[in-house]
Amino acid sequence: MTRWLDVEVGTDDIDLITLPSNLALVDLQNDNEFKLVVGDLGRGEEGPKLKVFKGAMQISDTILPDLPLGVVGFSINESMPRSVPLIAVAYSSCVYMYRNLKIFYKYYLPSSELNMCEIEVWKQLTNPSYHNIESLQSLTDSLGAIPHKLLSPQSQNLLDLTPDQQLEYLENITDVPSKKNAEIVCITTLKLHSIEREKSVCILKRDWPEGRILFNTDEHIIAVEVVTADNSVMVICADNTLACYSKKGKKQWCLTLEHRPVAMTLVPVLHLGVTLTAVALATGHVHLYDGKARRDTIFVRDLVSVMKFGQLGQEEHVLIIVTGGGNLMLKILKRTADFSAHAAGVQLSPHAAGGQRPWLIPKKSKLFLEQSVRERENAVSMHQTFQHELNRLRLLAAKTLLEAHVKSDNSIGIGPMDSLRLTAEVEGLGPVFRVTLIIENTSKEKAVIGLAILFHVHTINYKVSNPYIKVPLLSPGGKLKFPTKIEEVFDDQINPDVLFRPVTGQGGERSLVKVLLVKEGKTTPILAATVQMPPTDPMMLPFDKMQAAAGLESNEDSNWFTKT
Amino acid sequence: MGLLDKLSVWLGRGKAEVTVLVLGLDNSGKSTLLNALRAPEQRVAHTTPTVAQQQEHFQSGGVSFSAWDVSGAPRHRALWERHYRRAHAVIFVVDSADHLRLVVAREEMELLLAHPDMFGRRVPLLIFANKSDAAHALAPMQVAAALCLERITDKPWHICASCALSGAGIADGVTWLARQLRDGLVPTQHT
Repeated sequence: MTRWLDVEVGTDDIDLITLPSNLALVDLQNDNEFKLVVGDLGRGEEGPKLKVFKGAMQISDTILPDLPLGVVGFSINESMPRSVPLIAVAYSSCVYMYRNLKIFYKYYLPSSELNMCEIEVWKQLTNPSYHNIESLQSLTDSLGAIPHKLLSPQSQNLLDLTPDQQLEYLENITDVPSKKNAEIVCITTLKLHSIEREKSVCILKRDWPEGRILFNTDEHIIAVEVVTADNSVMVICADNTLACYSKKGKKQWCLTLEHRPVAMTLVPVLHLGVTLTAVALATGHVHLYDGKARRDTIFVRDLVSVMKFGQLGQEEHVLIIVTGGGNLMLKILKRTADFSAHAAGVQLSPHAAGGQRPWLIPKKSKLFLEQSVRERENAVSMHQTFQHELNRLRLLAAKTLLEAHVKSDNSIGIGPMDSLRLTAEVEGLGPVFRVTLIIENTSKEKAVIGLAILFHVHTINYKVSNPYIKVPLLSPGGKLKFPTKIEEVFDDQINPDVLFRPVTGQGGERSLVKVLLVKEGKTTPILAATVQMPPTDPMMLPFDKMQAAAGLESNEDSNWFTKT
Repeated sequence: MGLLDKLSVWLGRGKAEVTVLVLGLDNSGKSTLLNALRAPEQRVAHTTPTVAQQQEHFQSGGVSFSAWDVSGAPRHRALWERHYRRAHAVIFVVDSADHLRLVVAREEMELLLAHPDMFGRRVPLLIFANKSDAAHALAPMQVAAALCLERITDKPWHICASCALSGAGIADGVTWLARQLRDGLVPTQHT
């Protein structure tokens, strides 16, 4: 299923010949309706024009004075409400700014002075007495001795001519080159607020001495795009490859395309969090890659000349394609489009991993190295420590299991009785406590009959008012409460530790009361719960026994003294 | 109107409101259209882009409508389907001057018609070819062709040109909708 919606564009009068840099998407009227601004190079006798499209409809046509090399839309300031954006059109050595499609500002690049030798040569060249083949030969030789890149375009042109043409050229010449104009190669905008990144993708030409050469490619480069997310550089080359370089110029991966690539653009889809690379091939296909993986293929039936992706009109995701025949194609990304690997159903192509770094193994960190050294030096002790810890863990597990077995604690029934729940609440300060047992039947269909509660306590410690309670029928979803009195029993010889139980918080084995839920005809209890009784408040202890204990204590003490 | 009112009371839904879903892309004029249906003194001068949804009530042809105006922004369109179940009718607003996004409107309408909560239900579908006063606005028949309305077989549909700013054409469409709801089956109540 396609992910793109085709917009019907009237093909009759749209005839565009342009460069990738001559397409701009600008909110021209500040109405959040983005227009497509195209610097058209013109065809035949028709001169270059600046064309503005609203959707697929051309709404304006401005004649340009020269061939446009780049078109950029920008706004002067970021203040709100926004001012009307300007359009800058770059020509060979000047930039024209348009506001409301009217020329508003012209800027000529500063020119540099010519080489002194070149000026001398030109003085002689313009002198008619030198206009013969021999003297011309020596003069052009001296011109050729000057480095080619320092020469003015006029000198460069002259050197390219045959001697006869040179003579004819010099006969007709009127003005002498005195200045060298800088040539614009590309144009882009720098936002004032943005952090300026080093966009030194200076792969202008292999023998270009200026700029930092980031990387060299084996073949001619067809298009370059910089991915803003990680500053990697995508390059398509004439040897049918799509390559990705890091911002430091290191080749990260490279994949072979099925056919010759002709155009490339980035397709950032923000709501999906991906930036795809659209590569148009000479076969009329446009492939979309997410990294190395191909996610989608569009067949456009025509040779693509220029592609651009961005907001047009009010639609955010529009792929604009200008074909070799001058047609304009608009493709809108569907809202429901998904470019995940699963949705695309495309595996990595077999050549994708060809020869390049197949594994991304992180560098050995200092931490890792230190750890490995430690392991080598103290291998025995590390092993022993590990075994020791392992045994401790096993012991802990065994202890816990034993404890669970001893208490045989299960407050939630299993098997056919799994719908029963038993909970207990203890209230009171002591020595008489009120223990409320709550039996709940969570089943939605079944009632339970023939249940009974049995208290299992040590009679030395606790006295239960009714240790055996018969439970009546428990309806589905029903809940029954059984309050019972449990009294803590103190023998005549009260242990002084009892007084400190609230402080130490330890009642020990003594304070455990086991509650069993039994059913008629069953030999094992259905449920068992252990209730940890709170310690009796020392103020509530029976006074006489306290005194007895105190007396005993003093007696013991005296005995002890007498013994020594 | 008296007879119709009696008729609707007799049909058992005199008091009941019919839920109408107002859908369409962002900036197609949904809120402005509903604004035009209000009483003149209740109208607001400027509509702002709707976020989420807002509810409107109006009456026409003896039917009392409760209209849900749902945001048409791309990120909110996924929420449309939450309203499909309770909708008794759908008003789809199209900006007939926005040639570029007619395909987007068609795509959204196809998604709407193919949704399980909508497919096969006899829900009247009223399409407003809005902004008919704008320059380069397409005629309603051209909009209908662009939206491939002739393919809709399971629902009664009607398209009419409208201008939500002046209110022209809206009454015609709503009258058609009211007639459809009145003449058609009693709206199935979805709980």
